This record gives sequence, structure tokens and C-alpha cells, in this order.
Amino acid sequence: MAAVQDGPKELDAEKETKPEILSDGTSNLLGNTASGTLSSSPLTAAPAGGATKMEDQQTLIAVLQFLKRNKLSESVEILRREAGLGEHQEDSQATDGSGGGKGDGDGGDANSLLSRVSITSAAAPQSMPVKKDQPDVSVVLSAYSQQGDPSLYQVYYSGLKNFIESVLDCHRAELSQLFYPLFVHMYLELVYNNHETKAKAFFDKFSGDQECYYQDDLRILCSLTKKEHLKGNEVLLDFRTSRFVLRISRDSYQLLKRHLQERHNNQIWNIIQEHLYIDIFDGMPRSKSQIDSMSGSLAGEARREVNKAKVFYGLLKEPEIEVPLDDEDDEAENEEGKPKKKKTKKDSLGSKSKKQDPNAPQQNRIPLPELKDSDKLDKIMYMKESTKRIRLGPENLPSICFYTFLNAFQGLTAVDFTDDSSLLAGGFADSTVRVWSVTPKKLRKVKSTAELNVIDKESDDVLERIMDEKTASESKILHGHSGPVYGVSFSPDRNYLLSSSEDGTVRLWSLQTFTCLVGYKGHNYPVWDTQFSPFGYYFVSGGHDRVARLWAMDHYQPLRIFAGHLADVTCTRFHPNSNYVATGSTDRTVRLWDVLNGNCVRILTGHKGPIHSLAFSPNGKFLASGSTDGRVLLWDIGHGLMIGELKGHTDTIYALKFSRDGEILASGSMDNTVRLWDSMKAFDEVETDDFTATTGHIHLPDNSQELLLGMYHSKSTPVTHLHFTRRNLLLAAGTYNSQ
Amino acid sequence: MASPKTVPKDAQVMMQILKDMGITEYDPRVINQMLEFTYRYVTTIIEDAKIYSTHAKKSNVDADDIRLAIQCRVDQSFTSPPPRDFLLDIARQKNQTPLPLIKPYTGPRLPPDRYCLSAPNYRLKSLQKKVSSSAGRITVPRLSVGAVSSRPSTPTLGIPSVQTVGTKVGTPVSLTGQRFTVQIPSSQAASVKSATPTTPTVQNVLINPSLIGSKNILITTNMVSQNSSSDSTALKRKHEDEDDYDAL
Repeated sequence: MAAVQDGPKELDAEKETKPEILSDGTSNLLGNTASGTLSSSPLTAAPAGGATKMEDQQTLIAVLQFLKRNKLSESVEILRREAGLGEHQEDSQATDGSGGGKGDGDGGDANSLLSRVSITSAAAPQSMPVKKDQPDVSVVLSAYSQQGDPSLYQVYYSGLKNFIESVLDCHRAELSQLFYPLFVHMYLELVYNNHETKAKAFFDKFSGDQECYYQDDLRILCSLTKKEHLKGNEVLLDFRTSRFVLRISRDSYQLLKRHLQERHNNQIWNIIQEHLYIDIFDGMPRSKSQIDSMSGSLAGEARREVNKAKVFYGLLKEPEIEVPLDDEDDEAENEEGKPKKKKTKKDSLGSKSKKQDPNAPQQNRIPLPELKDSDKLDKIMYMKESTKRIRLGPENLPSICFYTFLNAFQGLTAVDFTDDSSLLAGGFADSTVRVWSVTPKKLRKVKSTAELNVIDKESDDVLERIMDEKTASESKILHGHSGPVYGVSFSPDRNYLLSSSEDGTVRLWSLQTFTCLVGYKGHNYPVWDTQFSPFGYYFVSGGHDRVARLWAMDHYQPLRIFAGHLADVTCTRFHPNSNYVATGSTDRTVRLWDVLNGNCVRILTGHKGPIHSLAFSPNGKFLASGSTDGRVLLWDIGHGLMIGELKGHTDTIYALKFSRDGEILASGSMDNTVRLWDSMKAFDEVETDDFTATTGHIHLPDNSQELLLGMYHSKSTPVTHLHFTRRNLLLAAGTYNSQ
Repeated sequence: MASPKTVPKDAQVMMQILKDMGITEYDPRVINQMLEFTYRYVTTIIEDAKIYSTHAKKSNVDADDIRLAIQCRVDQSFTSPPPRDFLLDIARQKNQTPLPLIKPYTGPRLPPDRYCLSAPNYRLKSLQKKVSSSAGRITVPRLSVGAVSSRPSTPTLGIPSVQTVGTKVGTPVSLTGQRFTVQIPSSQAASVKSATPTTPTVQNVLINPSLIGSKNILITTNMVSQNSSSDSTALKRKHEDEDDYDAL
């Protein structure tokens, strides 16, 4: 498209919009050279008159293309010499031409040609002001101005439908994947070219045939009937620019190609070439159930190469800490069972394997904060608690303690517990954040400076003396946001609290003073989720602007931007080794991002609804995701494959948590239940033969019923959050819903 | 929900729209909210369109005016997130820089003060000071160690000293690199109170901005003065104060 500007250089500057129009016009012309309606009359409909010189040039270039295509090389030479056109102009036009569609279109009676060009010329004044903030919208949408008689779209689609229904069963399932993307693209073309009635008729006739899990998208499409509606809809624009990925076996693909190339109406072939990406694999065609389990996302499935990068899913080595044994530690036994001696023993958890786990990242792959003395004390507490941990299993289910928020009037939008379960934070729709103390110990804030001046700084219990007893309370309210708080997260050292809100900021609160310290501005749109890294210092946030951002506490701008989702990022979670971030989105995919360089290393498709909860298993190998379709999907991160599907919930799953050793997965949902699943069994049945890995065929056993260990109803309280204490007691939180 | 017969036509249309969009469960108040929004939006657009058409000296408002009005409003009120290729571009730029190393032992890790919400967010106007020397003496500033100071507590009437709340004490390990808050309380409480029972005692808090940030020192001075101020005396007061106290 750039070469077009060589022509009109001598014209005045206002013609810079003209290349946009004319490139559209040119592609139209190229598309219609076969039908011979090569008249310069459509171009005279262009708004800014007096550019006949440029129009003629475009016409000449188009004619040249036609001649070239039909191999009339001598005529090409003659024409070129006489018209004085340069080589380069045509070549770049050639590339545009192939983008604009092959010249075999059936359509193009003069009427539609005129209407199309007048559309593109009308697009010019509209594209100008839009161009400033959305630089490529008109370019993006212009490729919809293809040939094809609108009334024939139905014929094409029915033709394809008949063909697919006539092929062998084994191929039919695979080729049926074509229906949905083709339907959407054809519909959008009709809408873009302002054939409103035809678009509606097309929609009514064929929307019922689509898969049930696309119904939500179709409903949104149904409301888009004019070209203007397309402009503001970012999700659809992304859908249109990114190619819908289909995985089809080679045999099925050959069948399809042969069929489409036999016919002369190659409209469908054009669409396939331009908007779809067909990932061909050699092997058996997939069955309907296999395809159904993987499809459902907004951009089709994931290409195989995308999921091939190496992911270091192992855990970082625990640092060696000397654990002092003292008298209170009566339950902890020495490994030999001998009576304890009063001497320090080395921490045995970390030093079990001296050599590096090949699947674990290097310690210094990403900079992590060093351990402070208080952190070391925390770790010692953690290890003491873990010795008292209950081992869970199918025979030994955890007890569940439910924290119900009363009188919150459906305003509770986010909950988090600290790792040691001592504090509970709730984010509310009235833009406050409240912190409660779960233990009998009250919440205290630091005294004011006047009082701090008078305390004895040398005393041993100075850390207690600096706390203000007079204002100690069970809960504290934090004000500061100007919109509902959609995500809260405690820091691992319990000093800080993060909250993300609809006002576009992420706020850092100090839990020593219960005041706000920093507001991180970056997303300018609601931030749906935020989480601290397991080691502190870093945190990730994801929002409506379709990106997730990685921040460090002491930088006011994000360190990494994870861009790639087609719709809002609704859930962000760190991997236990803090090197990867998983994001779940409304475009129904889960993506895994590398913190070191911001690359997307995994794209996991299969959910049929927006994803609202994610959980990494404690060993770092597996990921569980829950969405509005009521299913929990289990993924193997190393291979990037789905290894399990847990059906049972009937409503959105907002809470997912693995138990401390990963034996049990707990899921909480809007259907007022908490379900416990046997994740140990689910992960044992993973098939990882080469065939599975290369072709991505998955054989999911339908064993949801066997894996379900327990289902617990609350009276009418949807479950917003789940948390396993260090001793494997399950805590749940939700708001009482009186309806 | 109200029975369809008694519901006005607009509300019926809105209910139908919600049904078409697939929204089946909603509070009854949602209809009212949506109708209000619709009314406001449409009247704004039509008013804008009227302005444009009179500007273009047309007799009637036509579709172009409406289109232009919608477009201008869309850029103003309903901004949409940036397009995907733009996001990919800035992401690529941002992700190229390596992750910065973490400085060890720096206490609370926060961005520079300018980006934090930890500075005092108000300043009180100084009042005219009486000639009497009993009021308004400035004492030598005292150092008190504290970490980042949060918003100071609001001054209450009758208590002469405004304090910046000393907040979280850093880790007991080391105190280097922390911020210090300097507080200069005035100690002549009793005399002030008795002197002026009627006029409110107003504290004068002066913040020396040049010292903030460069040395991590936040210095506040307190002064008690009694009468209402005029601007020139207030300024003069400031100069006197700056001469008086010792920089640390």
C-alpha cells in the first residue's frame, strides 16, 4: 500500500487519505478484472475531486496486473513503455492484489461495485479522525471489502455445508470446525459492506447450526448490524486481525482443498486463505469429542509450535536455614525417633537433592529479593507447621471452615487470606478494602511519632511497644480506591496488601500503618485481578485493556507487559517458582508467560467460557483452570496439553485451590458448592507418549465422577475464595445471598 | 417484576433489548438505570448534532450531524482500550529491557517519593502572629527516626503540635537508608490556649520542599499563632521561620 504514494507525491497533502481509499479501490478493481468491469467510473465517486491523474494511474496499474496474470507479457511491456510506469509500482501492487483476493470472483455487477466503492470513499472521512488513535482500523477493516455478491453468500455457505455432510464420518468432524469461523467472517463482511438485510438473513439461516458453545459470541454478533458498530468493538477487531487456528489432519485438508478448487466460486477459499490458519498434522483425524474438548476459544486452537518452548516448571531450591529446636516443639520428632537434644539441626527440606532439577529454573534467572531475618523466622514457622500438617487423600478429606460475609449486599468482589491464615482481606464494590484478623490477636497499627519518641528503644520487646494498643480492633477499613475493588493480595511477609480496582489503579497498602503507600497507574481500565509473587517484591495485574503487567514494588511503571490476549485478562497467577505467570482471559484461553522476557510460552484452549480462576499445583507441574462453563480443566505445563476435565459444577467457578501437598483440588463456585477432587489420581493417569505430544491428540477419560471426593453445599452462599491452611484445613469465603 | 401491562412502553422496549442480548437475571432497577442512561446519551448526541448543524448553517439536523456528534462523543466518553498491535508493540519494547537487580537491605521498597502517597497532602495558611513573645516560639527541631511517613494526622483544635505520623519502623536489622521525619513541636500549649479563647488556634505547618527528596528528610515546623493573617505577614513569617530554625 505504500507504493501508491509514489504516484500522488506531486499532489497536495490532503490526498494522504487517498492512498487508503484508492488502495481499497485498487483491490476491488483487481478483484474484478476477470469480470471485465474495469471502468474508471467508480473512482470518480471519490470525494476529493480533481485527482483524475492519480486515478488513471491506478487504472493503468490494475490493467497491468490483469495482463500479467494472464501471461500477456508482450502487452505488458508495451503498456508499460507507453504509460511510463515504473517496475516497482506494479510489484507492490501485486502484493496488494494477492491480499485483495483472487480475481475469480463471481460477483461484481456494477451496482455492487459502485456501492462498495462509495462505501470505501465514505470510509475516508470516517477513517481520518479514527486514524489518530487507532492507526490501522481502516486498513484492518478495508480487507473486508472483497468481491462476492452478497446474495450468493448463502449459496456458498450451503454448498460447503452440503459438501461437508457428504464426506466420510472421520473427516466430517474435522471439517465441521470450519463452519463457525467462516460463518462469522462472512457475516462480518456483509455487515461491513452495508448489506444489512442480507446479513440478517444470512445470520438467521445459519446461526442455529453452530456449536452450542459459541452461542454467547453469536448473540453479540447478532446485535452488530451496521458497520459503525464494528468500529468500537476491540474484541471483534482482534478476532478479525488474528487468524483463527484450526487443526486438521492432512487427509481431511486435501479433501477440502480439492473440493473448493473444483468450484469456481472461490469466495470461501479466499476467506480461508486470508482469515484462517490451518495447522495441518499427519495422522488420524480427530473425533468430535476430541475436537470439542480443545475448541471453544475466540481464536480457535493453539498452533503446535506455540506450545513447544521449554518451560522451567520445577521449584526453586529452598534455602538452608538452621532450625533451632526448643522445648515447645514436643510433637516434632527427630527422624531417628530419638529423644531430642537441645541443638540446632539443619533444615532437611531444602538440601535433599544437591543437584539441580533439570526442570527448575536457575536461582538467578530472575532477580529475587534476598531473605531477611524476618523472612527466615517465617520460614522456620512454616516448617514447624508443615510437620503438623494432615496428609489428605481420598480417605482423609479436609474439614472446611466457611467464612460468610453478612450484610455485604452482594458487594464482596475479592477475598484473600495470608499464607499463615492469620489475616483476611475483602475487597468490596463500595471501593473499600477491609482487613480482618482471623486469629484472636487484634489488628494493631504503629503508634504516631509523638508516642514513638517516648518509648524505650532499647527494650527487648520494642516491636510490641511500637504498636498502638488503643486503636486495636478486629478489622480495619482501607479507603482510597474510587471504584469497586476486584482483586486483593497479601504479600508473603504480611507487611503489604495489594488491591486492584475498576478505577484502573493498583494500590499498595501498608499493614503496619493501614494506610495507602503507592498507587500504580498503568492500566487505564478496570483491573480485574492482581497477585503478589510467592517471594514478594513482584506483582502481576491484569485488566480490561487485554494485557497483564508485571510490576516491582519500587518501580512506578511496569517491568513487563504481557500482551496477546484477545479480550480482557480476568485472572493472573504466579507460578510457585515466580518465573512464570499464568493469565486467564475472557477470550477463553489460558496463557503462560515467561517473566524473564515477556514471551508467551503456552496457549491452552478448551474452555467454553471466560476463565475466572487459576491454580498451580504445589509441585509446579500442573495448572488447573475454572471458567463460567462450570468445568475445571487440568493442564500439563511441560507439554502444554490438557490432561483432565472435571465436570460437575453448574455455574461459574470462582475459586480453585490445591491442597498443600497437591493431593486434593478444591473448587468453589457460584452454585453454592465446594467440591473436592482427587488430583493425585488425575495426574497419575497422564499419558505422555510421543504421539500425544506431537499431534496434540488427547484422550480424556470421562472420570469426573470417580475423581469427585466430596461435594459440600452452603445454604445460599456462593464461594468466592478458597484457602488451605498450612495444616491442610480448608477455609472458604463468600457472601450470604439471601435470594 | 412489574406486570407487562402496567410497565411503560420504554421500559418494555428495554426489557426486550435485555432479553435479546441474553441477559435474563437482573435487578428491576437496572431497567430504570438503562433508561436514564439512554435518555441522557441520546439527548447529549442530539444537542451536539443541533450545534453542528447550526454551525454548518443548515436548517435541519440531518444524519451527518448525528454521525459527527456520535463520533466526537465516542472519542470522549467511551474510550476503548488500545488496539492489539499497538499493545504488542509497546510490550515488545518494554520486555526488551532486562529485569533490574534488586538492591539488598533497603528497608521498605517503594518508588521515589514523588510517586508515593506518603507526603503530607495539605498546608495550612499562617496567621498573623501577635507581638507577644509567649506565643509562637519555635523550638529546636528534634530528630525522630521513622520510616516512610504516611499522611499526617489532621490537627485538632487546641493541640498545638502537628505531627507527622511516624510509621512503620524498618526491620530491626539496620536503619541505614531510611527516611527521617523531623518534628518540631511547640511546647507552649497552655499559654496559647489561655491567650485566645475566642479565635481558633491555627497551627502553621511549613514544609520545606527543597529538602524533601534530596536528602530524604521531611522537615515540618510548627508554630502557633493567633490572629487571622494577612498575606504579606504570612510571607514574612515564612522568611523569619526559615532563618530561625537550624537545618540539620
